[in-house]
Amino acid sequence: MTGATLAALVAQFAPLAACAVVLLALRGRPRAAAATAVAGMAASFAASAWLVAVVAVPGRTLLAQAVFLPVDAAHNLAFGVLLDPLSTTMALVVSGVTLAVMAYSTGYMAGDPGYPRYYGFLALFGWAMQGLVLSANLLQTLAFWELVGLASFLLIGFWFDRPAPAAAARKAFIMTRVGDVGFLLGVLLLIRTLGLATIPDVIAASAPGGALAPRTVAIAAALLLMGVIGKSAQGPLFTWLPDAMEGPTPVSALLHSATMVAAGVYLVARLHPLFAAAPAVMHALLWLALVTALATATMAMVASDIKRVLAYSTISQLAYMLMGLAAGSAAAGYFHLVTHAGFKALLFLSAGIFIHHAHSNDMREISARRPWSQRAGVIGLVAGSAALAGVIPFAGYFSKEAILGALGAGASPLVVALAYLGAGLTAYYAFRMVFLTLGRREHTDAQTYGGTDAQGHSQTAGDRAMGVTVLVLAGLTLVLGYLGPWLAARLVPAEAGHGPFEFGWGALAALTLVAAGIGLAWYEFGRRGAAGIGFLERLPAVARFCGDNWYVDRLYRATVIRWAAALARAAHWNDRTIVDGTTDGVASGTVGGGRLLALVQSGNVQAYLTIAVLLLAALAYALGRVAVTP
Amino acid sequence: MNWLHWYLLVALLLFCIGLYGLLQRRSLIAMLISLELMLAAVSLNVVAITSLSGNSSSVGQVVALILIGVAAAEGAIALSLFVAIQREVQSINVEDLSELKG
Repeated sequence: MTGATLAALVAQFAPLAACAVVLLALRGRPRAAAATAVAGMAASFAASAWLVAVVAVPGRTLLAQAVFLPVDAAHNLAFGVLLDPLSTTMALVVSGVTLAVMAYSTGYMAGDPGYPRYYGFLALFGWAMQGLVLSANLLQTLAFWELVGLASFLLIGFWFDRPAPAAAARKAFIMTRVGDVGFLLGVLLLIRTLGLATIPDVIAASAPGGALAPRTVAIAAALLLMGVIGKSAQGPLFTWLPDAMEGPTPVSALLHSATMVAAGVYLVARLHPLFAAAPAVMHALLWLALVTALATATMAMVASDIKRVLAYSTISQLAYMLMGLAAGSAAAGYFHLVTHAGFKALLFLSAGIFIHHAHSNDMREISARRPWSQRAGVIGLVAGSAALAGVIPFAGYFSKEAILGALGAGASPLVVALAYLGAGLTAYYAFRMVFLTLGRREHTDAQTYGGTDAQGHSQTAGDRAMGVTVLVLAGLTLVLGYLGPWLAARLVPAEAGHGPFEFGWGALAALTLVAAGIGLAWYEFGRRGAAGIGFLERLPAVARFCGDNWYVDRLYRATVIRWAAALARAAHWNDRTIVDGTTDGVASGTVGGGRLLALVQSGNVQAYLTIAVLLLAALAYALGRVAVTP
Repeated sequence: MNWLHWYLLVALLLFCIGLYGLLQRRSLIAMLISLELMLAAVSLNVVAITSLSGNSSSVGQVVALILIGVAAAEGAIALSLFVAIQREVQSINVEDLSELKG
């Protein structure tokens, strides 16, 4: 076992060990539980950082696999680690964001009765995602893929005693499951053809002239994409993500940045050569992602709940990553995934500070309750929004530029134009959020916001942990953007020299659009005496349409859910009437028959004797006849 | 009609009386007596057939003696059971002994 493999095992299993210890032994001791989980995640983070330092070298790939259960000559179950620049950098991002969320949660979740359970689940989430990132073959990926789904189910429904989070958790689990059916079929298809579907084998086999026929590659890519669409909340399966806001805010930060939704995009980046070998599928993905990006941008433009705005922006940004990948640039899409992990975690954690302070998710209510007293939150929200919008020195600018550059190199002009439009809309809704949340500065100083509790507990250790985490992440958003060329050189050495990371007319156009978006947001929400109503909100029908997920949920309720409910009712009737009826009939028939036959038993010895004698006489008579006749 | 037939007729009569008593009387002791009558009929048959059918074997008499012995043993066991039943349920009327009624 080499040092790298050992480090990869530590990166995976330290969170699992922490999870087990917390859930089994430390349920009643919150501080010890938090410390254990943070220690496990910190070990994972350190191991990942070491891996990045050692393994993230251009063209380096380490594969260590151990057969766990041999099935036959060609097939067996194996578990292992695949270490290359992609997986190690992703592991670093995952463990880093999880660690930040854990540190932040010491303040945010303080006093919650489920505090130890929360940390146990966070560690479980960290383990599942690390396992997914480092997994060596697709079966292992599938297992961790489902574990990620389980962990997010548990965390979205963390406050399971309230109806809304419980319903949101179920919705997230079931909706992603729809896509996972395709994912499972895709993995099975590849395993059937390739035996053990080790990721480098799959990539090699999907190349032209490889072991897989082009048709098989296309089918497998389409099936795997179904899982990606469910997991990354794209296209028709996006509505679970806005509802997942019912979970605790740090969980949203984790879910939206480095885990769960990132899993889908990571998978596409991981198997990018396979997807690239199926151009038709990639083309479909490009359009699907484009429509998703624009549609969810309009939803973010009318939402009034700060977390919902962020949720829609996540879907939109994930769509941008997928567009970058679909346009053929693994580096651009993955780069955006990394920067997005940083600034989206930052945005959610800053929003969490305001929510913690104002006890409300509504942006207008937050703005009425002295948001400016939360310095770290203000810095985080502005920096994060600038990164989300793509303002120039922040991380989001560089990665979005890379994606737009990749699109400009490979996609049709219409796609490019719509993608630029989306970038402008992103800037608009990001700064609409900023102005709505922080806008009423002039009122707040005069306003006497009820009670002193806001100031009373504003300087606890927990609040400091939240503030420090946010400030660290805010600093990162300024730095992460410059990692682009470094990442590209390691991920796709051939791609590094040209294209996506240059400054040209495209960047200028994007910056102009971003400025226009921010200007519009300022005009409508930010300036003194602004109406505070966006241009979409002026049309009630449009506002309702966009505010209700484009009626996608209604469509599901009217079709799929109704059909499923009808099927369930029919199955229930069948179960009650036919299956249960048969069993009950057999049972009651047996009882009734027994009662009837019991009447024969009079309990009178002489009655039995009479019958016995008569039967003997009959037997004697019959035997006598037989003896006589021959 | 030789002697054998008369013996067999008497035995048949004894057997039928015993059977009637067994089925009709409700007292266990009376039923036991009826059973003894039926056994006696069988013994009579055996002795009569072996000694009057021509061959001078004494097998029939031996069998009859064994039957008498068996009947005595059976009577002893049955009577002791009746005593036990009487102690348990204060009755030896078979109509009271119908616990196996379904």
